Amino acid sequence: MITLHVNGQPHDVDASPDTPLLWALRDVLGMTGTKFGCGIAQCGACTVHVDGQAVRSCQLSIGSVGDQAITTIEGIGSSDVGAKVQKAWLDLEVIQCGYCQSGQIMSAAALLAHKPHPTDEDIDAAMAGNICRCGTYVRIREAIKKATAA
Amino acid sequence: MKRFHWGLLALAIVACVVAAWIIYVPGPTAFASGSTVALGDYKGTNPTGVPVSLASGDIVKRGEYLTRAADCEACHTAKGGVPYAGGLAFNLPFGTLYSPNITPDKETGIGNWTDADFINALHKGIAPDGSRFYPAFPYPSYTLLTNDDVLAIKAYLFSLKPVRQETEPNSLAFPFNQRWGMMFWSLFYNSNERYRPNPSQSAEWNRGAYLAEALGHCGECHTPRNLLQAVDNKKKFAGAVTAGWRAYNITQDATSGIGSWDLDTTAKFLAHGHVEGLGTASGPMGEAIDMSLRHMAPEDINALVVYLKSIPAIADTSLPLPKTMLASGFPTNQEIAENARGAMIFAGACAACHGWSGKSPILSYADFVGGRTVNDPTARNVAQAIIWGVTRHTPNGVVTMPGFGKAYSDEEIAAVSNYITARFGAEKSRITAADIKTIGKQASQ
Repeated sequence: MITLHVNGQPHDVDASPDTPLLWALRDVLGMTGTKFGCGIAQCGACTVHVDGQAVRSCQLSIGSVGDQAITTIEGIGSSDVGAKVQKAWLDLEVIQCGYCQSGQIMSAAALLAHKPHPTDEDIDAAMAGNICRCGTYVRIREAIKKATAA
Repeated sequence: MKRFHWGLLALAIVACVVAAWIIYVPGPTAFASGSTVALGDYKGTNPTGVPVSLASGDIVKRGEYLTRAADCEACHTAKGGVPYAGGLAFNLPFGTLYSPNITPDKETGIGNWTDADFINALHKGIAPDGSRFYPAFPYPSYTLLTNDDVLAIKAYLFSLKPVRQETEPNSLAFPFNQRWGMMFWSLFYNSNERYRPNPSQSAEWNRGAYLAEALGHCGECHTPRNLLQAVDNKKKFAGAVTAGWRAYNITQDATSGIGSWDLDTTAKFLAHGHVEGLGTASGPMGEAIDMSLRHMAPEDINALVVYLKSIPAIADTSLPLPKTMLASGFPTNQEIAENARGAMIFAGACAACHGWSGKSPILSYADFVGGRTVNDPTARNVAQAIIWGVTRHTPNGVVTMPGFGKAYSDEEIAAVSNYITARFGAEKSRITAADIKTIGKQASQ
């Protein structure tokens, strides 16, 4: 049994230590807001925070998480930065189909938590690993800037 | 006239001495002080066989350990194929060699081989039909193995399920396709002599030497070869390119070798192929760790460490001292401008797992910081890892980096390789698309 600290709550997970965090979140804990995209950390759909860092949960084993705090799209709204990002996303209607957007929001929130006033280059660097089939990139960048100003 | 003859003779003698010096190769343990004795005359702990904990096991169990120590599987298994059924392609400058099937299948494997056949193969490089093996099969190393150990390996291989799998014929160009030519090569370069312990050295050292030279055949990759393609022990373990990957300098040189690693660190790296802050073994060394070294008993790992620590330092001036400082959280505009294509690919395909600083947010096996690969200004192994991907066994299960060779162009792979060495290494590389094309094909497949 492994205990994961997700969105401030401890959860016991009965799975082997090499289980990817994404599997534990979706299949064991029923938190399906985090999406499965490629499974090889190339698309960003599964992004969550581990101790405030944006990580791809499909490639992170639960055995290596330890006591670190995990934040998912279900819990990001309870932080100031997360709430601002979500509001900007809604105000600008960033989302089209929405599948990648949990990951986009998590990467944006991690960026703003570390760099409250990112340059365009910082945004590119932080967001490049999150791909969007609908091509919402222009609105994503605008929303990040809006969340910065808010 | 007479004087002229003398001059010619002197010149001829000098030429012979030079040629002899080029062709001559000292024995694998000749660097160590003290003289060697035959195994039968050695009074110390027996350096051959298996560790004490396994000594009472049956011959198949002992053979399994020795087969792993000799890492037969790495070469005798095609990528994704059945272990020991052969078929791995070695892409050499003069053609392609395929490793044979060594499962006990009677028609396509070695099921009909007698004990004497197997000993002949490992000690002399001669097949049961009298034909000669190429030294891609490291019989000049295996010749050091005792008969008992050779036969234990055979017993293990014969305990496996026979696999019917024909080996593809080699496609070597003339004159390399003439196997009989290896007769002369063997005369020079196969001692056909069992391991000779050195009583002036410790029991651990002698065990380590047996593991490294007879079984593990480290020098086959890590020691440069001479003009005649023999392992040149004058530059023992100084590093070489093998199968398209750079096998790094593992002498005790502190800058370009592993002289700065203490005993524990060296042991940990040998057992896991990864130490935080020193990078991760990938490519053929990753395979050597996963298939062979990680299965070794701790006392054998320690013996290997004792032996490695005794290797004379040879400096390789092409390798800088690895950079141990983390890179910045995000790249600067200037850095991006220098290699925009590389930065773009790194951001999209690499940063998610490897992180921007060189410290991976996901797992330490994906750390760049301090590793030799990113601190190699040829970027050869960085490029190979990108082209072919990496799969490694960790204590927490298997980790995989996908291969990007089919996803990105040679230009893109060159750009991102150069970006990686510039950002995370001590010296930036200038690998080109043409290099990527060439080295990608050199890897065994």
